[in-house]
Amino acid sequence: MSDYACDWRSYGHIAFQERGSVALEADYVVVGSGPGGSGAALVLARAGFEVCVVEAGPWRDPGDYPESMLGAMRDMMPDWGATVAVGDSIMPIVQAAVVGGGTVINSAIMVRTPDDVLADWRERHGLGDLFDERAMGLQHDAVDRELAVQRTPEGANFGSNNAMLLSALQRRQLGGKAILRNVVGCQGSSSCLQGCRAGAKQSANLGWLPEVIARGGTVISCARVDRVVFERGVAVGVRGRSRHPRTRVLGAAVDVRARRGVVIAASAVQTPLILQRSGIRLPALGRHWRVHPGAAVVGVYDHPVDMQRGATQGTASVHFRDGIAIQDGRPIAGTGENGIKIESLALPLELLAGRAAGAGQALIERLRDARHQAVWISAVRAEAEGTCRLGLFGQADVRYKPTQRDLRALRAGSHLLAALHFESGARLVRPGVVGLPAEIAPDQLPLLAEAPLDNRCWTWVLSHLFGGAVMGNDPQRSVVAPDLHVRGVRRLHVACAAALPTTLGVNPQHTILAVARILAERLANGA
Amino acid sequence: MRRLVEHALGAVFPTSAGIPGLERLDYGARLDEVLRGPPLMRLGLYAATLLFVLLPIWTVYTPLPSLLLSPSRLDRHANQLASSRIYLLRQLMLLLKTVGGLLWGADPEVRQALGLSPLGPDPGTFRGDELRVAAESPPRARR
Ligand SMILES: Cc1cc2nc3c(=O)[nH]c(=O)nc-3n(C[C@H](O)[C@H](O)[C@H](O)COP(=O)(O)OP(=O)(O)OC[C@H]3O[C@@H](n4cnc5c(N)ncnc54)[C@H](O)[C@@H]3O)c2cc1C
Ligand code: SF4
Repeated sequence: MSDYACDWRSYGHIAFQERGSVALEADYVVVGSGPGGSGAALVLARAGFEVCVVEAGPWRDPGDYPESMLGAMRDMMPDWGATVAVGDSIMPIVQAAVVGGGTVINSAIMVRTPDDVLADWRERHGLGDLFDERAMGLQHDAVDRELAVQRTPEGANFGSNNAMLLSALQRRQLGGKAILRNVVGCQGSSSCLQGCRAGAKQSANLGWLPEVIARGGTVISCARVDRVVFERGVAVGVRGRSRHPRTRVLGAAVDVRARRGVVIAASAVQTPLILQRSGIRLPALGRHWRVHPGAAVVGVYDHPVDMQRGATQGTASVHFRDGIAIQDGRPIAGTGENGIKIESLALPLELLAGRAAGAGQALIERLRDARHQAVWISAVRAEAEGTCRLGLFGQADVRYKPTQRDLRALRAGSHLLAALHFESGARLVRPGVVGLPAEIAPDQLPLLAEAPLDNRCWTWVLSHLFGGAVMGNDPQRSVVAPDLHVRGVRRLHVACAAALPTTLGVNPQHTILAVARILAERLANGA
Repeated sequence: MRRLVEHALGAVFPTSAGIPGLERLDYGARLDEVLRGPPLMRLGLYAATLLFVLLPIWTVYTPLPSLLLSPSRLDRHANQLASSRIYLLRQLMLLLKTVGGLLWGADPEVRQALGLSPLGPDPGTFRGDELRVAAESPPRARR
């Protein structure tokens, strides 16, 4: 079948190919190798199917990982991290483009899908018992075992940034906990975003994808899929092109035929675009695009915090997941407002420098005390829905505008984080909100409660993405039917964040993994 | 244009009591990489630079390009632009600050001045890469 012969094939991995064409055949083709793609590929491979994973990014091992943020943007992210969502403000979208997808650059936080989300999927989105608590629980258990999910030890490698937030949350009984992560032997290098050079983070490129290969599968890296190929309404393969990760030169055509089915798992941004490029026309395609927009609050302390030492993210709280409001200067949970999740996050100096207010001497003065800064973030369980469509030049055209309620939750979260910083001894807080002073002292905290509810005044970052090709029983509102086929075509499936019909209010990768594995199990069982 | 970009970046990240600014650092190769990056980023950086050069008349009421400003005026100009009430200007300055931050914050001299450990290399390699292949000498592809 193949007009391609290469010794790399015997290793089950085909990297960039300059000339000719790469033509393969497998039982299943999986497009994308993040938690969704690698999770689905592994289950199918273990069930005895021949799987071919096609991934746009290169396969980097820990020795290839960059140390600087410039290197991380260049080597690990699509288009240097230049993807943005546009509404009345411009919000950067952070994603990975490497073998292993988000599992390589994320903070390895593993949170099970909350029961209320599953009930909502069942009741409002008509997904039946497919993803009930039992089915998802079994997957979560299996993943926890395989990826050695454990609570981040509060030892020497925990780091002050995490320890300080943990104490602050516990003092107020706000549900602060050391985070559960799929990490073994974290060395506290605070560089999860650049990939874990210590090999402690159990990312898919280290464990699951090598197992897919060991079971007879193939990974084609540096190969961007353009479209799905159909024959008489049946998905029979994918077509794409090899591209050199450094020079960006286009190389061989890539054609993979699928005997049994095509699984798209290219993220909430790219999956809708691949389906659109493939000629799928469904009313819900590219719609119901959601995020957990996040923003950081910096506290400046008299003592060094040294957030460059410790787990990148070590502490979190979901106390305000169901809503937060500030009343009389105090945060109230579950108020009918939108919720937030609180986390510590070690920002590298390079990103602190871009985020600090002002320019020139004023900017440098705000960086002089870099070692004394602690960064805590809130991610909003936002209600806004956006769209993700093919732009004029084939790029992702993402439209997204947080609502006033989303902004109120963010403002309340920032107020809470600033208060926690002050209670922890911060001398001042840098809220990062235009319209407020660049630095506020403890007696200026009430200013934050009145901060402008204008998206353009806040610096949001989008890294938890959902939807664009969501599952559901309503043909007007969903792209994937409850039988997990893309509507109107056979043997085409979605197994990444694009399929999730709602936000979660918690970190998404555990949910994405479980959903992808359930889909793959059903395929393996002949559904 | 590249000289103008360097000028703007230098004004955003200047030397300040014991901490070297971008104008003192050797970041040319990394800037080259950025300028070879995605066209949208390059365009944004150029647009930000042009506005930076042309807008002293608006920020410090001086009808001169920023290249001709005295150091103290240039500093005021940079800070005013970054704190502008006009969203688009602020965003373009944010792009300058982001790129400048990536270059400045990774520099070993800056990191030493701030008491931070230096960063290691960014190999940029990957499986199947000719650079890595040379080191590992895996089997060669044949057609
Ligand atoms: C910095 C950061 C930190 C995070 N931290 C956490 C965390 O700690 N815990 C957590 O639960 N979540 C975290 N997340 C979110 C989590 O990583 C994502 O939700 C998750 O990776 C999404 O999985 P996915 O399979 O949908 O897509 P992705 O992980 O984005 O994978 C999609 C893959 O498809 C590839 N692809 C795209 N288009 C094509 C194409 N046309 N052809 C071939 N391949 C293609 C991409 O290169 C990519 O590798 C974080 C995200 C970021 C960015
Ligand atoms: S913080 Fe821990 S898991 Fe993250 S990169 Fe460093 S050693 Fe790896």
